[in-house]
Amino acid sequence: MQRAIFRDKDKCIGCYACVVACQMEHAFPPHPSFPPVAEPEGVSLTSVYRYGPFMEGNKVTQYFIPMSCMHCSDAPCIQACPKSALYKDPLTGTTMVDKEKCIGCRFCLWVCPYGAPRYNLEGKCELCDLCTKRYKEGKKKTACEAVCIASAIFSGTTEEVASHKSKKAAKKLVEGSATI
Amino acid sequence: MSDTKIIKSTCKSCHGTCGVLVTVENGQITRVEGNPDSLTRGTMCSKGQAAFQEVNNPNRLKYPLKRMGARGEGKWARISWDEALDMIGTKINEAKQQYGANSVVIGQGTGRGYDPFTIRLAGSIGTGNLMGPAHVCYLPRLLVFALMIGGRLFCDLHGWGGEYPKTIISWAKQMEVTNVDGEMGVWLLDTLEKTKNLVMVDPRSTRLSNRATQWLRVRPGTDAALALGMMNVIINEDLYDREFVTQWTYGFEKLRERVQEYPVKKVSEITWIPEEDIIKAARTFATEKPGCILIGEPLEAANNCIQTLRAILCLAAITGNIERPGSMMVWMPPAAGNLEAFGREVRLPEENRKNIIGGDKYKLCVLGRICHPETVFKQLKEGTSQVQAMHLQGTNPLLCYANTREVFDGLMNLPFLSVADLYMSPTAEYADIVLPVAHWLEMDAIWDDMAVFYIAAINKAVEPPGEAKPDSWIFNEIGRRVGPEHWFETMDDLWNHVLRKSGITFKEFQEKGYLACTGKDQVYYKYKTDYWKPGGGFRTKTGKIELYSTQLEGLGYDPLPYYLEPNESPYSTPELAKEYPLILSAGGRFPYFFHSQYRQLPWLRKLHPYPIVQIHPETAGNLGISEGDWVWIETPRGRIKQKAELLPTLDPRVTICQPHWWYPERPGPDHGLWEANANVLTASDLPFDPAIGASTFRALICKIYKAEEGE
Repeated sequence: MQRAIFRDKDKCIGCYACVVACQMEHAFPPHPSFPPVAEPEGVSLTSVYRYGPFMEGNKVTQYFIPMSCMHCSDAPCIQACPKSALYKDPLTGTTMVDKEKCIGCRFCLWVCPYGAPRYNLEGKCELCDLCTKRYKEGKKKTACEAVCIASAIFSGTTEEVASHKSKKAAKKLVEGSATI
Repeated sequence: MSDTKIIKSTCKSCHGTCGVLVTVENGQITRVEGNPDSLTRGTMCSKGQAAFQEVNNPNRLKYPLKRMGARGEGKWARISWDEALDMIGTKINEAKQQYGANSVVIGQGTGRGYDPFTIRLAGSIGTGNLMGPAHVCYLPRLLVFALMIGGRLFCDLHGWGGEYPKTIISWAKQMEVTNVDGEMGVWLLDTLEKTKNLVMVDPRSTRLSNRATQWLRVRPGTDAALALGMMNVIINEDLYDREFVTQWTYGFEKLRERVQEYPVKKVSEITWIPEEDIIKAARTFATEKPGCILIGEPLEAANNCIQTLRAILCLAAITGNIERPGSMMVWMPPAAGNLEAFGREVRLPEENRKNIIGGDKYKLCVLGRICHPETVFKQLKEGTSQVQAMHLQGTNPLLCYANTREVFDGLMNLPFLSVADLYMSPTAEYADIVLPVAHWLEMDAIWDDMAVFYIAAINKAVEPPGEAKPDSWIFNEIGRRVGPEHWFETMDDLWNHVLRKSGITFKEFQEKGYLACTGKDQVYYKYKTDYWKPGGGFRTKTGKIELYSTQLEGLGYDPLPYYLEPNESPYSTPELAKEYPLILSAGGRFPYFFHSQYRQLPWLRKLHPYPIVQIHPETAGNLGISEGDWVWIETPRGRIKQKAELLPTLDPRVTICQPHWWYPERPGPDHGLWEANANVLTASDLPFDPAIGASTFRALICKIYKAEEGE
């Protein structure tokens, strides 16, 4: 099995609830400090980027795009890690970090096409783990997915994610043009 | 093995009612997440999740405090609850005996489930002077709904009647991220999947702009003109719902005459919206039915808010979008009724109700049973006030009322001020007695705030810090000292009293989680049944929807909606506009904070560390301002400093800054409020809304210039 996650730029409203949910799930930091501590690295394993808004006439183009590890099958970070700290979870195909082995060299960040790796206060790599611990406890939705009011996040096996996307495309076909 | 339990509760980090699950490990909260088995299906926002950073927050108030030095000097002595409550009780009773009950003001902030308690407390003292920001937030809507329909309207986002709205107008509202007022963001986003048209009315692009099928970029403060212009199109093109209008509305012909004063060309000039866009939106709303209108608070903080809301509601009524599935509905409450009755059942002496502060001028305040805060503070400042004692709970007037300077001067002249809060807020800094309040994660309560059709249980997850106590307990204890016949021996007695109509006890309710009236239990087309009136009709004097308001007429106000130019604008104050050339909305909302709350929470503050003012890139360029620059925003009242964000979707003549900013991390008593708080810019001496006295927050004028290094 290969688990995957889809984040829908057409639905995301950029509320950042997923960013907070991810911090909660991964307990960074578990308890509040005040005033807020100087920017700890790798506070959330998911982040949201705003594209736009741009104006053309009266038309607004604006997207919020949630980003995190894509869990590549042939992951450059796994190949690149000098300490073999990155590996695939055998059950779910998720890219995982062995923090005992990680030396915090950040080479995984060099090679990652998505800028996904984050680094915790000890400098060790932190990656979206598709909430694998949660998943193995029987919770089907990732923390970010469960919390999303816009239904912009969908996780599942690659097949499930593909079918979720096909459904969306099919709906568009029907609504967009009646003359196929 | 660690001791882990999961508590089912309800978030009250805003007006929403999201079901939550709280994980407590060894007495510490380690997680707040959505409850999949609730009406919000497990979703949450950043604020609600970060709520647990308020528990154990080192800034929390832990013990009752008594002021020792001068006001604002920061010298406090810890006292016992008995001493604190006795002192508040004594001050209230003394004021009442010497100056009459209306010399006491009970104040609250935005509705957070304890509204019925402030109402009941004021009632049991006998004072009509209940103070809140309601006159600029939600009460105008409730009163207009009451005047026109006789019930509270909400958008039907639920499909219980078998239909979803085909057209939704989101009018001055960002329900997806803030200020839900009874309709939750998650319900809107779910419904959008089934909605054909989403028409946004907003001066700037929002987070839903991408999904909007039409965007009307309205000039701030001109929404009434837009609604009247849309009605002009709908009526003159004969697109209104003739059958509904004839049978169920009152005063249509007079409204038809009135809208002739608003031809599209004129409305386009007023609102800066192209004529064809106004026509298109009007036609869409009138023909693509059912439809509903999400109505936002910015319309209420304005100089003619009652008539603006009347115009918008007339628009819904003449298109027949009332009480049909997928339109605007009056929801039926659950078996327990609404918590509100708990406040209203204590009757006020008629004299005191009529003679509230500001009620002589703003007659809808009397109807809505709140006094007029701007008049309270002005009279205090001028030394002409009858007010001897003020108790504030969950409110921060120094940040949240118009014209901070005047509020400050007023507070300083107040003989006695007690404040109950989670933190030492700028307002609490100037109090005589400060009471520590428990957070919602630390209390048992019933929460029904806005979404009339259900009430939900807040169940305690952990003990509050120090001696902090729940709001409800504090109200009950003050109540027992000032009007014991209306209050309770134990909190269980109190909650059971609230729930008495439901036939279940508070304990059973807590286990159940919520009581709701949903699905088939909600009746549509109630005006065709005996629900409001035997033989059918609405709960108004005429039994119909009053397009022409007989009640407003009786009070001496215009019975038909009209447009009024904002107090300050390039058109109403052209001379002043030469010095202050930009239109300013001082209330731009954003997802991470709620009013003046949550700047203390690391997760949220990291997402949004500084206040932001949005400026069009062209305007910014002319002023030598770049993205991220600190800039001064100045009005005739004062100036504040925020960070510039260049937003190309604005009209170059419009700018939007963020409200309610303070820096809790900075030293007291002011915590940076004079530098950051947008109410330093707002006015309390301009004309208010003639009926309810609303001050203007969203249509001011200002100038902006770059702040120098070190300023």
